[in-house]
Amino acid sequence: MTDEALDLDTIRAQWLGVEFDVSTFEMQAGPMVAWAEACGETDPRFLDRSHPDFQAHPNFTTVCTSGRFLPDGFPSIGNGFGIDGGKTVEVLAPVRPGDVLTGTATIAEVFDKTGRSGTMVFIVQRMSFTNQDGDPVSIVDWKTIRGV
Amino acid sequence: MNYEDVELGDDLPIEHPDVSLPKIEQWCEAAGQRFPRFVDHEAARAEGLPGALVPGIMSQGFLLAMIHRWAPGCTVRKIDTVFRGQLVIETELTISGAVTDTDDDERTVEIDLTIVGEDGRTGVIGTAVVAFD
Repeated sequence: MTDEALDLDTIRAQWLGVEFDVSTFEMQAGPMVAWAEACGETDPRFLDRSHPDFQAHPNFTTVCTSGRFLPDGFPSIGNGFGIDGGKTVEVLAPVRPGDVLTGTATIAEVFDKTGRSGTMVFIVQRMSFTNQDGDPVSIVDWKTIRGV
Repeated sequence: MNYEDVELGDDLPIEHPDVSLPKIEQWCEAAGQRFPRFVDHEAARAEGLPGALVPGIMSQGFLLAMIHRWAPGCTVRKIDTVFRGQLVIETELTISGAVTDTDDDERTVEIDLTIVGEDGRTGVIGTAVVAFD
């Protein structure tokens, strides 16, 4: 086992699953419709406010963040802020206008990969959202890549 | 489109999403992501980018809209995208999908997703799990 791997093992043991931010977000119909239109959506469930099943586009919660991406005291890995490696969205229930979502941030995974351009560390920040009734509606994983 | 109509290997109709500046601005405003690198070519080039970039999350939205057009009324349960390359606004992007798995018990299908830029480079790859009534 390399020192690097050992460090990641330590980071995982200390930080995975630790909740470091809780924020609330009020869902509004206007941005929901504008978002769906801009993405080329044609399904009235996402465009027509009078539709009986009107709801936000499935990945609407991906921009619901407080701006905190790492817990205080999280070790510095690599250089700079990192590269956006992608997003995973699990849709558990529709998000409706007027919903007040609570997003809880955790570190879900830290792992490394080595390729032609060297070793990269992936940090996965997870935001788990519930609505005002406490029902889970969405889980969003943000993948940040840092070179080491 | 019903679950029974889907065959393993089916291709979704190829689409070319609108990445004109007004559409990008509309999405940025809705998303609260008003960053110059998405709407200003000069500002983006000053950051070393080839031009203003299509926001990664918006590109995920293109894929969702494509799936909804292919199977109206379906529910996307999960979408996972990896941002592999830079996609420049005001260019022609090509988005596609193919069914790679089906689950008769859950009545779900898995789709591989791709977005390719005008230069032929792959900008986004991903998968989605889609449920049918």
